[in-house]
Amino acid sequence: MNTLFCTLAQSGWPEPMPTGTLFHYLVISAAMFVIGLIGFVTRRNLIIMFLCTELMFQAAGLSLIAFSRFHLNHTGETFVIFVLTVAAAEAALALALVVLLFRRKESLDAERWAELRG
Amino acid sequence: MSGLAGQLAIMHETLGSLALAAGDAAHAQPRFGTGVGAKFDVPRLFGLIPFIPLLACALCGLCAAMKVKTKLPAAITVGCLLASFGLTIGLYAQVHANPGDFAIIHAFEWINFQWGQSEAQSLTANFSFYADSLTALWMLFVTGLATLIALYASEYMSHDVGQGYCRFFMAFSLFVFSMACLVMGDNLALLFLGWEGVGLCSYLLIGYFYKKPSAVAAAKKAFVVNRIGDLGLSLGVMLAFVQFGSLEYAEIFRKAEPFLALARDGQWQDIPWTVQLIPILLTIGAFGKSAQLPLYVWLPDAMEGPTPVSALIHAATMVTAGVYLVARMFPLFLVSEHALTIVAWGGALTALLAATIGMAQFDIKRIMAYSTVSQLGYMFCGLGVMGVMGGPAHVFTHAFFKAMLFLACGAVMHGFAGQLDLRKLSGLGKMPGWRIVTVAMFVGCINLAGVPFITAGFYSKDTILGDAFANPAMVPIGWILLITAGLTAYYTFRVFFRVFVGPAYYEPGDELHAHDDHSHDHAHANKDHGHDSHGHGHSAWQPHPPGWAINTVLILLTILSFAAIVTVFKADGWLYRMVTNSSAGAGIAADHHHKFFGFDAHAAMKVVSGIVAIAGIAVAFVLHYSGRTSAATSKADSLVPMLGPIPRWAQNKWYVDEFYHFLFVRPLWLLSVVFAAIDKVLVDGLVNVFGWVPKALAKTARPLQNGVLHDYALRMAGGVALLLLIIVLMVNRGDRTSAAASIPPTDNSIGTLPAAPAAVDPIAVSLDPIRAKAQEAVR
Amino acid sequence: MNNVIAQLWPEIALFVTTCLVMVVGLSKDRGTRKLCAPISAIGIIVAGYLAATTSVDTATTLPFMAKYGKVLAAGVGLLLLMLMAGTADRQLEDAVDRGEKFEPLRSTRAEFYAFFLFSLMGLMLCAGASDLIFLFLALELTSLPTYVMVALSTRRDRSMEAGVKYFFLGAMGAAMFLFGFALIYGATGSTALADVAYTIQNRAAGTGSIGPLALTGLVLSLLGVMFKIAAVPMHFYTADVYQGAASSVTAFLAFVPKCAGFFAIMLLVGCAGWAFGPDGYGSGTALPPELRILLWTIAVLTMTVGNVLALLQTSVKRILAYSSIAHSGYMLVGVIAGPGPAESTLASNGLAAVLFYLLTYGVMSVGTFSVVAALERRRRATAADAAIDEVDHIDELRGLWKRQPHLAAVMVICALGLLGLPPLLGFLGKLPLFTSALGAGEIVLVVILGLNSAIAAAYYLRLVSVPFLESGEPSTPDAVVPTPFPSRALAGVVAAVLVVVAGLAGGTLGSHAERAGTFRFPTKTMEATRHASQPTSTVSVPPDAAERGPNAR
Repeated sequence: MNTLFCTLAQSGWPEPMPTGTLFHYLVISAAMFVIGLIGFVTRRNLIIMFLCTELMFQAAGLSLIAFSRFHLNHTGETFVIFVLTVAAAEAALALALVVLLFRRKESLDAERWAELRG
Repeated sequence: MSGLAGQLAIMHETLGSLALAAGDAAHAQPRFGTGVGAKFDVPRLFGLIPFIPLLACALCGLCAAMKVKTKLPAAITVGCLLASFGLTIGLYAQVHANPGDFAIIHAFEWINFQWGQSEAQSLTANFSFYADSLTALWMLFVTGLATLIALYASEYMSHDVGQGYCRFFMAFSLFVFSMACLVMGDNLALLFLGWEGVGLCSYLLIGYFYKKPSAVAAAKKAFVVNRIGDLGLSLGVMLAFVQFGSLEYAEIFRKAEPFLALARDGQWQDIPWTVQLIPILLTIGAFGKSAQLPLYVWLPDAMEGPTPVSALIHAATMVTAGVYLVARMFPLFLVSEHALTIVAWGGALTALLAATIGMAQFDIKRIMAYSTVSQLGYMFCGLGVMGVMGGPAHVFTHAFFKAMLFLACGAVMHGFAGQLDLRKLSGLGKMPGWRIVTVAMFVGCINLAGVPFITAGFYSKDTILGDAFANPAMVPIGWILLITAGLTAYYTFRVFFRVFVGPAYYEPGDELHAHDDHSHDHAHANKDHGHDSHGHGHSAWQPHPPGWAINTVLILLTILSFAAIVTVFKADGWLYRMVTNSSAGAGIAADHHHKFFGFDAHAAMKVVSGIVAIAGIAVAFVLHYSGRTSAATSKADSLVPMLGPIPRWAQNKWYVDEFYHFLFVRPLWLLSVVFAAIDKVLVDGLVNVFGWVPKALAKTARPLQNGVLHDYALRMAGGVALLLLIIVLMVNRGDRTSAAASIPPTDNSIGTLPAAPAAVDPIAVSLDPIRAKAQEAVR
Repeated sequence: MNNVIAQLWPEIALFVTTCLVMVVGLSKDRGTRKLCAPISAIGIIVAGYLAATTSVDTATTLPFMAKYGKVLAAGVGLLLLMLMAGTADRQLEDAVDRGEKFEPLRSTRAEFYAFFLFSLMGLMLCAGASDLIFLFLALELTSLPTYVMVALSTRRDRSMEAGVKYFFLGAMGAAMFLFGFALIYGATGSTALADVAYTIQNRAAGTGSIGPLALTGLVLSLLGVMFKIAAVPMHFYTADVYQGAASSVTAFLAFVPKCAGFFAIMLLVGCAGWAFGPDGYGSGTALPPELRILLWTIAVLTMTVGNVLALLQTSVKRILAYSSIAHSGYMLVGVIAGPGPAESTLASNGLAAVLFYLLTYGVMSVGTFSVVAALERRRRATAADAAIDEVDHIDELRGLWKRQPHLAAVMVICALGLLGLPPLLGFLGKLPLFTSALGAGEIVLVVILGLNSAIAAAYYLRLVSVPFLESGEPSTPDAVVPTPFPSRALAGVVAAVLVVVAGLAGGTLGSHAERAGTFRFPTKTMEATRHASQPTSTVSVPPDAAERGPNAR
């Protein structure tokens, strides 16, 4: 396996990325992350908030793939598959929780849940 | 009891060989250095000896939690202590098979502290046990007596079944654990832990009847006086650590060896004074715990505790901890010019003073307490006069007969509703059911008085006297001890003749003012426990003789007291070998004085001290028995006025308590008032400020915890951003200052992010050909 | 590959147990259903045994931490399991007792125990993580079940609220450390922690700093993980969640995620290494200056905020929550101090001190929470159903000594232990933190640590005095009675006994922690053996590292 990749790399395969791409990917990924964070902080709807965390997860995934391509190994891609799995699990959890909460207060507003404080 | 005839037959042989034997003990096993032999291995099983009582303590605590209302805690304690005693016998067998050597049983790591790389910069004190013959000797009587006394207490404390019963046996087991740590520990730290542990248990048990003000005061007094001793001990331990770089006995003895050689040649000036100070500090500790002048005042008051406690802790075991400390650290005492002299004089003066006080007391338990103080003085003398063997030997024999005396007193107290005044009791031996107690008391008394040849107490006391006269520097001490021996015989038999023989008479004690448990609040004791049988209404009152548990224990102790003769009647007997085969044996080599007092000191003492003892008994017989018709008076009363105020002074304990009160307590109290005022103004002010600042901080920070989810999110994100910003600023500043040193990113394709580590890292490139290739390809 | 599996036997055992519990808990037979807890206990014991007996073989800078961490997880996990009795399905079981039919669909018992075991499994995996992916999955496996446990722990709105706060903020934290991991991977080209450490420190040796990208990655991931240990600025959720969850679950939260977080922090910080000095890499035994400042600030803020806010609380669980924050701050001091010079002991190795402190804190916090968990408030003169509430207000502990002396004793011992009173376990735990920080020259930090301990005394002594010294009945209209689950009180008693006994005999435990804290600098050998075709079997060299290297596929 190792030798195969070695040969492939020597023969210029897979096709290298055009110059500068990593930087662009990273900028996009960072932007996604920050957008997700800002959304998380500003929105009050629980489902939107959850979607924002998903956005942050996928931002990390994006940069992982970009790095994976940059380093020319598959570790980052493997990582992303696991991240997707975990994100799916979290989504299931989040939706279940949101349904549970909605049944209690007939609302998705996060601010309604502020009994515990101090 | 092997019979008197046999004893007498052996006596001849003993007397004849005494002159040789005393020397032989020294020469039979020529010892050099610290008297510490080689190391041998014993099974780790014996490390359980201290922990079984601890288990008993935990189980009794469980009983207390589960509100057990039966005698289960006593059964647990007796069982566990018996197991511990069994293991101790096993340990003894191991030690016996390796005379002169020691074993270390590692239980678990305890203190292991390093503050540097070198060996000296570490403090190691494991929960390890040092087993040699001295340890075995002490543990044999500690666990053995503890078992017996726990059995006795199971009956004695029976009126308190319930929470108090559990509490008593918890403290009792905890005491045995602490005592075992003290005796078996292989380092001074563990000894100190045990030392404090027995002090704590003693405090708890003296104050067992915590509703009685005198008991609480006595407990407090014991605690405070012991602190003074503990201060000395802790200073001594610290100094030993500073001097020898270790707390482990084996290590200390090894490092003390050069000093010991100097001491043997008499070159005291070559030994640093700090080394010479260690044993003196240890002596202060020993004197505190073992109730010696000037720190003896707590022990007589400690008799406020339940009698089994007095017997075990304040007569047989805990108070001998000081003697143990001196015996264990004997090699260190030898390197000090004055330490042993201090020990000897302290012991001798205490012995005499306590004996004079004991003569004038009327409370039989108190008399026994003063006799304990006095006998402890003997033990210290035995060590201090460099005879070595006499001290521990006397500890051993004394443990049995003194425990027995106390238990007999306790039986009297239990039966007569707390009556202890010898003027109000008489002729108990004639009353039904008191036969065993009387016999036990008699055996105890002849042992304490040192009736020649048939008592173990005689032989061990005699060894001390002989050693004192054999050492030319210590002859005055010998005389003091001899006088004390006479006084001891007198006051011992004063008790016996007054209380146990003569016309039968008794007055029950007033339960409410009695010394013991009967004063305890009956409200929470079991109503159905037969309290109506005694104590309420003197007209229908009957003394109740002891039951099977007390009698069994007394019989066993009587037998043991006699059996102890076997261990001591030869000058190189079992007991002496046990002592000399340990670190205390270091003193033997120094024991080369054979100062004659007309005859050989030991042989002469056998006769002289015997005569003195019998004379003391005879005086007591004449003054307190012959012709006595009532309990309250005797012929001695007519002699008292002839002595002027002296008897009154003695009865008032020579006003030592009052003297201490005037000298220490008052000034300290005044000082504390002053300090309290300073404390209130200065310290409290500071503390208030110190308390106010956090509260103010809290009040500002609290609104942040407003419970709203996305406010929290905002604060978290803000915090993260802020911290990231700080890091970025730091990195930028760092880059400006060390730009030349760092290799700037050469890869244009990455732009501002220097994120191509493999490309800029020559080592990684060389190690990673594929990645290097890939980087090229990327470019 | 076999070696990886060989180290995962404890987790595999737990997984099998989890599957079993999930099935058993749904049984219609009451007796079978009740087997959940014993089966879990057996599983944890087996896992602990396996963890204690497996050989040490991880390819990280902290090779011996895995074993210690797994055994620790199993030990404290057992105590926590005892606390869990009756947390799930109490109302349902009571209804069944009254003759209602058992509805498997409404039952949460199976899930509850399964989640408990999953989370514990995640903690064990965290301790043995040798790869960033591994670490990420382990952290998520630890956290995800706890979100559900919090939300399901009681049927009150408060638990829901706690659950939602915990989940959403936790997801944000997870996203942060995931992004950090991505950056670390980007900076080093590998996710294997040994390689990451080697690459970063190799670069530091060349250039004097660990590089901006690696640094950003480390900082982001550390900040994300701070959520797990409830450190500033990620601490805001703590008090609310701890108060809202059932007391037994709170005890779980106070130990398991915190432990996992500290394992992760030590592994991550270990990538940067403690080899920096005034002249850059290799000239001292400190963290890279940026990381040091970061952790220093966090540690100081965390312990201060925790202790200060605890002063004003009247809820026992909130007090303990803030104290839990403060303790995280204390432990961060050990991380800052680092492993110290080579061949260092517990007293000079900050990592060992942290590992030991986790143990002491785990035991003591279980003890304190068990007191609250073992009591409940029962409304007087109402029907039995829905009249039971948790004990929360400190006033409800008043006079506990008279009514439940054992619980009062547990509270006293454990609170004094948390305070760090000398003969107790807490003191033994705190001492190495102090000495290691002193050894690392962090004088200011030590002074702040000392001041904070003094502040903490104020509220711990309140926890001691209210149940012990103040007499009288609680002023609430409800009766405070013990729960019908004796194992909760037993857990507390066991913890208290441990606090006392281990306080006297902590040396043995300490020596295990000392070994577990052994920090191995990533060396050339480690990198070289990665490429060696011949696997070796020594402890220090991961035999299968070659397979896990970034280039070998």
